Amino acid sequence: MLRFHTQTAGSTLTLQQPDNNVVRVAFQALAAVLGGTQSLHTNSKDEALALPSESAVRLALRTQQVIAHETGVADVIDPLAGSYTIEALTDEIQARATSYIEKIDAMGGAVKAIESGFMQREIAESAYQYQREVETKTRTIVGVNDYKMDEPPLKDILRIDLEIERKQRKKLERVREKRDQGRVNEALAGIKKAAETTENLVPHIMDAVKFYATVGEVSNTLRQVFGEYEERV
Amino acid sequence: MAGRKIRVLIAKPGLDGHDRGAKVIARALSDAGMEVIYTGIRQTAEQIVTAAIQEDVDVIGLSCLSGAHMTLFPRVTEILRNRKAEDITVLGGGIIPFDDFATLKKAGIKEIFQPGTYTEDIIQYIKENVKPRQ
Repeated sequence: MLRFHTQTAGSTLTLQQPDNNVVRVAFQALAAVLGGTQSLHTNSKDEALALPSESAVRLALRTQQVIAHETGVADVIDPLAGSYTIEALTDEIQARATSYIEKIDAMGGAVKAIESGFMQREIAESAYQYQREVETKTRTIVGVNDYKMDEPPLKDILRIDLEIERKQRKKLERVREKRDQGRVNEALAGIKKAAETTENLVPHIMDAVKFYATVGEVSNTLRQVFGEYEERV
Repeated sequence: MAGRKIRVLIAKPGLDGHDRGAKVIARALSDAGMEVIYTGIRQTAEQIVTAAIQEDVDVIGLSCLSGAHMTLFPRVTEILRNRKAEDITVLGGGIIPFDDFATLKKAGIKEIFQPGTYTEDIIQYIKENVKPRQ
């Protein structure tokens, strides 16, 4: 069985008329369920304006719950089975995906295709074409290039208090003062040693965090061994 | 040396990996005849300023979708001032709430472009407001 997770598309959310995003997310989530997804993330309607507010996140969750309990689509395995359009589109996706995979295999596989920048270019090209279509109005985005209206900026958005950073730094300082630094150093050295081999890193990372090593310290230790991903641009 | 092209650095400060918009902007400016350098994701303010000075750019376009713009954008303009490179025009984009505009502009961000902005409008803004250095 193919198990898959679905997230609604953040790139389709608009700052203009943000309530429209509730509708977009609902349709996308419904499509995911109709397609048989096992796991689903629904985006919040205000994500083109700010980090999402509590109420927007709740509405995104409620969208899933309405689909689950009120629409009936989750009562059967494959509600669209036998639909000519869906079956034909599925066949087309399959055929085009297969030819894509063959093309990537011919390049030496997915890792090679990423290293050569092929996949990144394909994604960027598709994003650029989408934007061209929006700007030339060959693709209609409701509220952005059609059905526009004047509206005041959405008021009810999440504010990030800059105090949060100072408080978090203080908390971190206190953790560092209280923990057993010898134990932390030992555990980090254990991570480093394991990272130089093919050994499973998880038990070593668990040791380190039990002694209150920070995510930053664990990551920096791994960075010493593995280096950092550098984007080819 | 007449007709030097406008040089732009598109940069992603901080930890978010949302680079779709930054790359669309980079491509659009490049198609409009500007010379564009894209830094890639997860850059520090220091790295961005260093790249901007080395590449002798006229404009820096910062893209941030993590919510950390109020810390990261002013840090870039501050380092530019410290390194006597404040003549570089700094623009911002990403998920930037309208209420933050005034503070960011005071910190030296010349203009901020929100989601839904046409690349055509950004191109026009740069052409009207930035003179390529000779």
